Amino acid sequence: MSYIPGWAVFGQAGIALLFPLLANILYKGLYSLVGSGRAVESPGTKNANPSKGQSASQAGVDPAPAPREFSGDYAADLSYIKSTIGRNSDLHFKEFTMTRVQRQAVLIFVDGMQDDRQLNLQILQYLMNEATAESLSAQGMSGPGLPFSQLSEASDLTLFNQSVLFGHAGLLVEGLPQGLLIEPPASTDRTLGEPVSEALLRGPRLGFSEVLSVNTSILRRQGFNDQLEMISYRAGTRIQRDIVLAYMKDIVNPELLKEVETRISKLDIDFLAESGYIEQLIEDNYLSPFQQVQNTERPDRVINALLEGRIAILLDGTPFALIVPVTFSMLLQSPEDYYERWLPSSLIRMLRFAATFMALMAPALYISFISFHPGLIPTELALSIIETRQNVPFPSVIEVLILEISIEILREAGIRLPKPVGPAMGIVGGLIIGDAAVNAGIVSPFLVIVVAVTAISSFSIPMYSAGLTLRLLRFVGMGFAAFLGMFGTILFFLLICSHLTRLKSFGVPYLTPVSPFRLSDWKDLFFRSPLSLMKRRPVMMKTQNSRRKS
Amino acid sequence: MYRRLLPLILCLSLLAATQTGCWSSKEIEDLALYTGLALDKGELTKAEQELEDKGITYSKQNKITATIQVIPVKTTGSKDKQGGQQGTPYQNVSGTGDSLLEIFRQYSIRNERPIVGHHLKVIVISAELLKQQSIGQLMDFVLRDNDIRPSSMVFISQGRAEETMVSKRSDEVPSVHIRQMLRNRSRTSKVLSPMILSKLDALIHSKRSFALQNLVTADGETEFAGAAVVKGGTGHWVGNLNQEDTECLSWLTGKGDTGVIKAYDWDNEPMTYEMKAMKSKIKARSDGDKIRFEVSIETEGRLIETWNTSSILSSGDNTEKAAKLFEEKLKQMMEHMISKLQQDYKADVAGFGDALSIQQPRAWKKVEDHWDEVFSRARISFKYDLKITDFGSFTE
Amino acid sequence: MFTRTDDKITATQAAVFLNNTVLGAGILTLPRGVSEAVKTPDSWLSVTLGGIIVMAVVTLMVKISQQFPGKTIFQYAGRIVGRVPGAVLCLLLVLYFLILAGFEIRSLAEVTLFFLLEGTPIWAIVLPFIWAGTYLVYGGINSIARVFQIVFPISIMILMICYALSFRLFDIDNLRPVLGNGIMPVIRGLKSTVLVYSGCEVILTLVAFMQKPGQAVKTMLIGIGIPVGLYLLTVVMVIGGLSIDSVITSTWPTIDLIRSFEISGFLFERMEFPLMVIWLMQMFCNFCSFFFQASLGLSQILKLKVHPVIYMLVPVIFISAMIPKTVNEVFSLGDFIGRMGLVLFLLLPVLLSIIWLIRTKGLKQHV
Repeated sequence: MSYIPGWAVFGQAGIALLFPLLANILYKGLYSLVGSGRAVESPGTKNANPSKGQSASQAGVDPAPAPREFSGDYAADLSYIKSTIGRNSDLHFKEFTMTRVQRQAVLIFVDGMQDDRQLNLQILQYLMNEATAESLSAQGMSGPGLPFSQLSEASDLTLFNQSVLFGHAGLLVEGLPQGLLIEPPASTDRTLGEPVSEALLRGPRLGFSEVLSVNTSILRRQGFNDQLEMISYRAGTRIQRDIVLAYMKDIVNPELLKEVETRISKLDIDFLAESGYIEQLIEDNYLSPFQQVQNTERPDRVINALLEGRIAILLDGTPFALIVPVTFSMLLQSPEDYYERWLPSSLIRMLRFAATFMALMAPALYISFISFHPGLIPTELALSIIETRQNVPFPSVIEVLILEISIEILREAGIRLPKPVGPAMGIVGGLIIGDAAVNAGIVSPFLVIVVAVTAISSFSIPMYSAGLTLRLLRFVGMGFAAFLGMFGTILFFLLICSHLTRLKSFGVPYLTPVSPFRLSDWKDLFFRSPLSLMKRRPVMMKTQNSRRKS
Repeated sequence: MYRRLLPLILCLSLLAATQTGCWSSKEIEDLALYTGLALDKGELTKAEQELEDKGITYSKQNKITATIQVIPVKTTGSKDKQGGQQGTPYQNVSGTGDSLLEIFRQYSIRNERPIVGHHLKVIVISAELLKQQSIGQLMDFVLRDNDIRPSSMVFISQGRAEETMVSKRSDEVPSVHIRQMLRNRSRTSKVLSPMILSKLDALIHSKRSFALQNLVTADGETEFAGAAVVKGGTGHWVGNLNQEDTECLSWLTGKGDTGVIKAYDWDNEPMTYEMKAMKSKIKARSDGDKIRFEVSIETEGRLIETWNTSSILSSGDNTEKAAKLFEEKLKQMMEHMISKLQQDYKADVAGFGDALSIQQPRAWKKVEDHWDEVFSRARISFKYDLKITDFGSFTE
Repeated sequence: MFTRTDDKITATQAAVFLNNTVLGAGILTLPRGVSEAVKTPDSWLSVTLGGIIVMAVVTLMVKISQQFPGKTIFQYAGRIVGRVPGAVLCLLLVLYFLILAGFEIRSLAEVTLFFLLEGTPIWAIVLPFIWAGTYLVYGGINSIARVFQIVFPISIMILMICYALSFRLFDIDNLRPVLGNGIMPVIRGLKSTVLVYSGCEVILTLVAFMQKPGQAVKTMLIGIGIPVGLYLLTVVMVIGGLSIDSVITSTWPTIDLIRSFEISGFLFERMEFPLMVIWLMQMFCNFCSFFFQASLGLSQILKLKVHPVIYMLVPVIFISAMIPKTVNEVFSLGDFIGRMGLVLFLLLPVLLSIIWLIRTKGLKQHV
């Protein structure tokens, strides 16, 4: 049997088996190791104590430590409050007597969180001079009796404490069983401005701000509609923050909504500093280099997504809203595509796809052509490359790495630099270093073109985070190319394809509508067909209501 | 478990990375691309002669001398190029032996860069060598090699082939120059349609005769001059066709539809016909064993130049007369070419065999093996149709 | 259902799946294979004729699979011919898929070694390729079908561009005379054409995965029709461009055709680069398809989970790819596969359907 191969082949076969096995074990191991911190993986047990609010907003919250009930006794409650949070120097206790009913009361507020004038002039004046017994009677508790627009009662002392420290003005009146919370914190908000990360030439110059209520109001202000529903949650085991889910009630697929609700309710972390935390905690596969949640500062983008049947997640304290589910093509779309006319928009969109491809593959292709396949490039190009590379002492991989890494450093530095210095830095880095490196014979001029085109291409991607992914993968691709040339590059491409097809964002395959193929969704993929043609919402979202036009 | 596994995997991958490396990776600037290859009768170069005198050689017969044209020449210290003498942008390397690959490998013990054939454009074989060796032998390696593209073109040179790889002008590469000269086929049919390797492969394999473009070098300049006929059965060079024959060959095979015909008119002044369209059709007829061909040639064109100032050409009568004269000239040229092919070379390079095989496959089957013989005896009749459509921007 | 959990594929995906399974190594070798057997320019007739025969067999395969909705051949073969013979048949089929997978990888490696990576050890090409395939196959039929959907349009587009550009070499005389030597050479060529269609057997399992098995006949005929058309185009373009004599002597005639011209002034002067790219991707699809079928078959016959089977098959496929020692052995392996394919491919469905017909119609048994 001369056909039985030698021992070496069997050895290699062993390696062939070993590698995927090890990779699998490693993957699973990593997943279980890291996954233990993930709420989705450990369904709501352990110390996961998420607080799901009722849909009413900001009421009925039960914080983590055992709440202490109001005793009903004014003095005892006041002394409890003083003993727990009284040491804060910015906390003010304004004790006074209500003259009409002759009761003791105390107004508790944090310095700077309330409009002082209003506090002194109106609230105190009213309480001291005008408040009557009827308006404080038990029935009038939550509202009509007291002339405050925002008034709620704290169910327990702990919540009362937290709310006061968050900026509410707390009112404790002798004889009332519970503390009242009046006047939400005055917004110490910046003025609304144009979103920095997603600048457009045409389109609303309005971005989200850091205050949740402002953000939700911006969404509401998009237009008259009674189907836009917003549900608020509160998450965070140590410091709690408000999260709002926004969706169109008659469009969104209920199963998707349920899935998102489940994931949100399982958030398990002590503090959500930014919506990026939520993103990373609810995404399907955190080992994937691709983001499975889209973030945006633009309300118009959010509202359009909602109309497609997607769900937006807004977090207090950050201007970045999240949109789920996301598909790959969304990362390359910009709201402007829809604002401009369809022909130029379509062309620009295709340009972006091409740019993405270049940003991902250009250095890898360069390496494979220069180091592996001189026979695949045109003769004249080959000649000019040879001439320019004759003084370069490095193999192309090292050459590319040098330049790519310096570009990456430059980029990173450019973000940190103060605004006036940034562009200067770009010029210094891009032009001078590039030119000097060529003159010094470290890199070839041809490579400078390649790297520059790559960098510019990656800037043309409308989503910053998608650009990050590509930057990361570019280096992987270069590695593949350095090993196996063209073959490696193709392998890399196939691996990315394999990975993308396996990836899902909230149950929606990441590459829809390319694959699985949905022809009707192609109207809004590589090109943006005229608006009159887009009669239906994306099929992939399986919306309740599919027609955009009546 | 993973704590222990992880370092192991790291070590393994490190080992793999260091031990494997990039096997096929060769930087492009470390390679010597050759764009031209010239094959000559074996004749030792000066350096080789000296080496041989010193007894440094290997077992070989000096049957062929292969010259490759390497570009670009490595310029070290390109900064002070202006100071030194301007060298040529190419470098010719020659070697002698009896195996093309062995000669190629022999270059590697003399040069610092390995040669690669991805960019080979032009192969020139000297007619002398082709008398000695068959084209199949010479082209075998070139056809087998994985680097050399089948799009490389093959030419024959009248003199030594390596001379075509030298140019007087210092700024151009002769092999690229030859390749680019082919663009002029839009102006003249004296240049045959280029013979690329894959076509040559088919011709060699089917043992057909064929014509290759001839190159002649004079005073450091290379010119396309006629065609060389390679006999199918033997694969040897048998003779040349002159420029006019080559032109006729192009027209006949339908590969060329440009060119001029010059004739002398009734006052013995030259007049020139510029071809605008050319159609030729070969009809094969076989009655029994007799094979005969009817060729019809139709052409249209304009009378573009005449030195005759006395008579007006555009008058109907004279136009007819002029057309007749051109037809006569064309007939002369064609018949000269055909007689050369049939009588002198006994080689069908004009595609009569193809016509027969397509139109009369049965008859072709019978004569396939000794086609060139049959061809030389076949009767070929011509029918011409030459039309003068206009007179340029003159009305007369 | 918003999130689909069932492993079903749509009609489009099924058609693309079949196309990408069949379209592969043949693009580069078919013109030579057929021409060697036919020896006249009538090869394209052989390919067409072979395509028609294959289409008939495909219809038969679909029909029989439709009798057992949701069941693959590995599950229903036993019910038709009895458990043991059924298992033997299925194991034979699995073996066939494994050899095919090995063959595909090996021819890929040979082409890569010859044109792209001279000097790289063969295992360095084969191993990463198998691993990438494993990753994809691990994702199940849906992932595979989706990758196919991405690769398919790219391949078709680039293949068409390559052929369109090679039109400059095309000479209709190279394809003439039609039937100069009668019909016999065409018949002789049929055998080698069937080889390129080997892989059609995936239909026997593919129908089970379809969301709407009712459309299977149309879908599969489209799925096989595309490769038939492309192979026909390949043969016509290659023989028309290179002539029959050149095709017979060339190892990879299609690459030779594409290498025979240069388009100066074009971004890629040399079209073999895109051709190699799509061919490699197509081979990847081929390989993954067979790998998947083999692992599916083995897991269903032996009633194992599919993931361990996938791992088990990795070294087996590697060894089956390494068994041929020379390129000529690779080609003779290809011929062997062609013959084996002929048996499995014609015999299996015909045999199964006859037995099934006898048992249901003749003996009125309930199968």
